[in-house]
Amino acid sequence: MRRADGETLLLWTLPVVAAIWLAAFLLFPGFVSPMSPTMSAEEVAAFYRDPENLPRIRYSMILFNWFAVGLIPILALLVLQIRRMAHRTPIFSYALIACAAGGPTVFLMANLFWLTAAFRPTRDPQMTLLFNDLAWMTFSSQVGFLIAQSVILALAIHLDRQERPVFARWVAHFNLVVAALLLPAAFAGAALTGPFAWDGLLTFWVRNIAIGLWIVVMAVVLRRAIERQRAEDEAVAA
Amino acid sequence: MTGALLRKIAWHWRHDEKRELWIGWWTLVVFYNLYGLLFFAVARTQPPPQPSLGHAEIVEWFAARHHGLIYGYAVVFIVGGATAIMNATLAYTMRRMSVSRAFAYSYLVIYALATLPGMLIMGVACTVGAMRPDRDPELMSWLYDFAFLSFEGTMGVFLIGSLVWMLAVLLDENRVFPKWFAYLNLCNALTEVVVAPAWIFKSGAFAWDGTIAWWINMVVFVTYTAVFLTLLRRLILREDFGTGPLPDLAR
Repeated sequence: MRRADGETLLLWTLPVVAAIWLAAFLLFPGFVSPMSPTMSAEEVAAFYRDPENLPRIRYSMILFNWFAVGLIPILALLVLQIRRMAHRTPIFSYALIACAAGGPTVFLMANLFWLTAAFRPTRDPQMTLLFNDLAWMTFSSQVGFLIAQSVILALAIHLDRQERPVFARWVAHFNLVVAALLLPAAFAGAALTGPFAWDGLLTFWVRNIAIGLWIVVMAVVLRRAIERQRAEDEAVAA
Repeated sequence: MTGALLRKIAWHWRHDEKRELWIGWWTLVVFYNLYGLLFFAVARTQPPPQPSLGHAEIVEWFAARHHGLIYGYAVVFIVGGATAIMNATLAYTMRRMSVSRAFAYSYLVIYALATLPGMLIMGVACTVGAMRPDRDPELMSWLYDFAFLSFEGTMGVFLIGSLVWMLAVLLDENRVFPKWFAYLNLCNALTEVVVAPAWIFKSGAFAWDGTIAWWINMVVFVTYTAVFLTLLRRLILREDFGTGPLPDLAR
């Protein structure tokens, strides 16, 4: 019997955290049908002042504030799998650690702007509009670390040249597709309407669905890789 | 010509033992060139404008580079994550030294944080400023200050990061970098010290666009970057994947 190293426990935090994210996403009144960037300062202020909306904005963003960093343990498990790959240097595992630090920090900035807007909704509507713009723009356009994460994983998997690679080739290709789907969101500032706007098809729906899909697929392949690693370790020990 | 280049890249991708290091090095070279191009030529936020502009002038400043800010920073947002692989490669230089791994890890985490004040916060502030040209001019002025102060005035990450690298080079017995490079790190660290008055002065040599806070800083940073890219290339050529002193560059 191998000693419990806690990796399975960390992996199983993901479904719990993901359920909380989904609940917070549905709770925030500005996500299910995303707020339009064409709303005037008065309309944005009214959105935050609405007694139906205000508690939902606060509670959903408090949930995100608590659990936004919940993906970091999963990224740490991916770092450990990269370390098992047949590489000559630890550059890819280092790079994924750097992404794990950057990504959630960016999301937390957006979270702070939303919460600050909701803290005093009676403020001058121009101020509420500014906080709302900063929140949405940070949330929408900051895809750099997510793209890097996928590209680093794809490179690492491609260069893992051993008889039984840690992840199958298709996982690398899948990561490149996800990186491409995230790309248009960087242009969120370019238009207030249409597919690139922060409530548009590419920037909101394609990007967020791609992130969700990445989490599910990577969790499944990660679980398989950890189980295989265990079986191999036990075979060696026996 | 293109075919030959592609064949060369394909060969390295398949057979070159040092491909991970070369991926890091090329990412650094391409990124720094692109970074310069985007900030100086596309977004035109560098060299920086005066901190003393009035509200109306700031609104004009945003209007004059509307598309540059939006599309320039969109590209910055896409490639910004490449810093992860760049910093990983620079952290590896410390891992290859005879010093503790604590140096590599410190450098990696410090520079992962540096990406935010180093470009992302400024990009978001400039994009938000450009997206609504009719925003209250007083708030446009706040976005302008936030953009330039976060960019020019965030010093600690670069200060401590350079000092960590300096110490590692000084202590290293594996001949990864020449000792004089440690003192160039010190020069880079000192420019972060003299930039501090940018938080206080709105004009003159110490302001964020001034001779001391910006120009000297930029000259040292460009020299420093060109030097470490050259030294890193030599390091990769000398790399033997051992743990002891690196051999001399083969002639």
